[in-house]
Amino acid sequence: MKSTTRQRYALGLLSLVTLVVAYTLVSNAYRVIDPASLPDALGGLLRPDVLPPTQAVVEAFRELAGGSGPPAAGARVQVSEQLAGLRREGVTLPASIVITTARVLFGLAVGMPLGILVGFLMGWSRKADDYLHPIYVLLRSVPPLAMITYIMLWLGHSEAHRLIPIVYAVAAAVVIPTYHGVRDVAGRYLVAARSLGARGRLLLARVVLPAARPAMLAGLRYGIAIAWMTAVGAEMLMAENGMGNLLVGGGMWSTRLQTRTDPAVVMAGIITLAGAGWVMDAAARVLTARLTRWQR
Amino acid sequence: MTPAGTRGARLEAVDVGYVYPGRTATQALDGLTLDVGDNEFLAVLGPVGCGKTTLLRIFAGFLRPASGTVRCDGAAIDGPGSQRGYVLQEDAIFPWMTVRENVEFGLMARGIDAAGRRAVSAELLDLIGLSAFEDAHPKELSAGMSKMVEVARVLATDPSILLLDEPFGALDAQTRARLQEALGRLWEQRRKTVLFVTHDAEEAIHLADRIVVLSSRPGRIKAEFRVDLPRPRSLETRFSAAFSDLKRRIWEVLGLGGVSAREQVPRIAGS
Amino acid sequence: MASILPARWTRVRRAVVALGALALLYGIAAAIGADRLPRRIWMSPHYVEDVELLPTYPSLAYELGFLVESGILAGAVAVSAGRVLAGVVLGSIIGILLGLATGRATRLEYLTDPWVTFFKFTPALALLPLFVLWFGYDEVSKVLLIAANVGVVVLLGTHQAVRNVPGVYLEAAASLGASPGLALRKIVLPAAFPQVFASIRVAMGLGWVTIVVAELINPRMPSLGYLLTLAGAYPRVSTMVVGIGTIGAVVLLFDMLALLLHARVTRWMGRSA
Repeated sequence: MKSTTRQRYALGLLSLVTLVVAYTLVSNAYRVIDPASLPDALGGLLRPDVLPPTQAVVEAFRELAGGSGPPAAGARVQVSEQLAGLRREGVTLPASIVITTARVLFGLAVGMPLGILVGFLMGWSRKADDYLHPIYVLLRSVPPLAMITYIMLWLGHSEAHRLIPIVYAVAAAVVIPTYHGVRDVAGRYLVAARSLGARGRLLLARVVLPAARPAMLAGLRYGIAIAWMTAVGAEMLMAENGMGNLLVGGGMWSTRLQTRTDPAVVMAGIITLAGAGWVMDAAARVLTARLTRWQR
Repeated sequence: MTPAGTRGARLEAVDVGYVYPGRTATQALDGLTLDVGDNEFLAVLGPVGCGKTTLLRIFAGFLRPASGTVRCDGAAIDGPGSQRGYVLQEDAIFPWMTVRENVEFGLMARGIDAAGRRAVSAELLDLIGLSAFEDAHPKELSAGMSKMVEVARVLATDPSILLLDEPFGALDAQTRARLQEALGRLWEQRRKTVLFVTHDAEEAIHLADRIVVLSSRPGRIKAEFRVDLPRPRSLETRFSAAFSDLKRRIWEVLGLGGVSAREQVPRIAGS
Repeated sequence: MASILPARWTRVRRAVVALGALALLYGIAAAIGADRLPRRIWMSPHYVEDVELLPTYPSLAYELGFLVESGILAGAVAVSAGRVLAGVVLGSIIGILLGLATGRATRLEYLTDPWVTFFKFTPALALLPLFVLWFGYDEVSKVLLIAANVGVVVLLGTHQAVRNVPGVYLEAAASLGASPGLALRKIVLPAAFPQVFASIRVAMGLGWVTIVVAELINPRMPSLGYLLTLAGAYPRVSTMVVGIGTIGAVVLLFDMLALLLHARVTRWMGRSA
């Protein structure tokens, strides 16, 4: 492992550990200091139901991982409403993360080629750009939430209904980086290639695409982030499985976002999501490095 | 200002003008007329901003003149073509390809098979002395080597006309001298029609048959010189009296006054 | 290559053609749909009657008229725009500051990586309950939610921009005796400006897209997000379309203003990029 990579992981870990330690201290402060005695804002923050103590988060992890045995000694006595609901529906953390990952991968598999195609077209041909750009801007400003609701009217509660917004969001995200990658391919490369007699397909395949690759790979990383966000968002509203569902506590559509959320569960969920997303991002980072070894 | 004795010009520019658009439109060229004869090595010399690159790009087919005509072999120039090999001023070697792939690119565009391409690239790389680097990526090369690869790349398709835009401009004096030698030798071995842009009078005298000096914006022909030095030209040629004499005359035209810089300063202070 | 018609007009003309074609297609689809599409939609746990899946132009016009006349739309746009701007400005400032810092000091980047990742992969919707818990059920959490999203994007953009400043510029500056502060102001900032600006533009669009989620907090009119949510709940598609259309129009407007600003500022700086 290169020394910079080693440094990256070391410092990241350090930061993470410091974060966890500091958080544990702060979130457990209520045991020592009575929150009521502090000024409002600060006191409000230190309450255990606002900042879930680390132990509660760990406990939440354990519960969600499918542990159904009796609660460990020293754990919270009551199981929160959210956890209870999730347990009732058999929602577990491993299953949820797998399902969400699957949705994300699907969104990427379909959305990326779509976005790259459009972005490429717009970057390559001025004409296409002039015609497509305003349409793109229009489509891009549709809030995913509104789109999810709207599609539901058409397709009801089906898997397609959840997957379409993800594909859409990924494609939309990838268009701009690809567009710039193609358009900004240093003009001098095109000039040189054309002077050497390259035309059409050869020009595209051997000059434009390789030169645009770094930008497209940057788009991939961006697309991954967007895919995760949209997938979880869609699940929070409209799915009975997946991480989003877990965050919201399951339950009927009409009562979503109204169950008393257990912050420990939410924390556990977010941490898992961040972890999974980071893994994918790291993979993309490695892929980028490998494919652009020629870059100065 | 058409030179006498050209058998039939390969490249012709007749009364060419070019204006760069923008808030302050710049007239890069104005009423420029020049010819390049078959197998002639013509150097275009001029200060920064005199429109030399513009002229070359017009000949290369990437710019259309606002007025006048440009012709190659009698036909109007309508876009780039591989019989007019073009080496840019900027660094345009393809970083994602190896040295060999770069050199073979033009051949690939022609549909030549791998074995054929290999043969040509091997020979050229050997000629410029970079055979050892054939599988390296440009990022491992120095600027000078990179530029030579670009020249080899353009030579691979054996164009009969070469358009070179200050190819050695960004290099240090020694590398430049070496590459000038190499180019000179190359040209003497495989005669081609060359239009070579530079701001360096010495370089121009060393390489060319004829030198055309352009004025600053707008670019017009200010003077023309015939280089009668014998070929092949060696390092020794640079120190000959004829060489220095020509250089002095060119510098006068370029407005650099006397050869001695010391003589120049009082003149400026006095005015 | 040298055309008589200025390039700008061709671009506008084509944009108009494209949008016009889209509008036409939609009109046709809506007209066909008015007869063919079902009007009784299942929205658990019950059916909803009289839903216009593809609202026709007349009904859109009616809806628009109603919303404009009653002042609902104007009020909603004003309030929501205020929140978006506040969130974008706040997020941009934080993002730029952090991006500048992490761009220059690699070690700082590694340190902040986990935090940034935390926010990067978490949808606004998921952060919402947390923010409400932490920052209350009011304006602050709405603006902060937007700021968080915007901040991440701008941070990444700035970071990349700073990284892309050619090292040679900084070396030249140092050998000319410039202090780090001067180098930052006169070299890094101008060189990074185009890319930073691009990410702010993206963030602006993102802010508007997030406003719907943010305005789920203490939903109350006037608010564009709440308007959309309500429209989604009924459902009243024509309102949704008008709402989305308004957001789209506002985003376009902001985007054009941003471009104008960009042109103005880069003129001072001379030709950069």
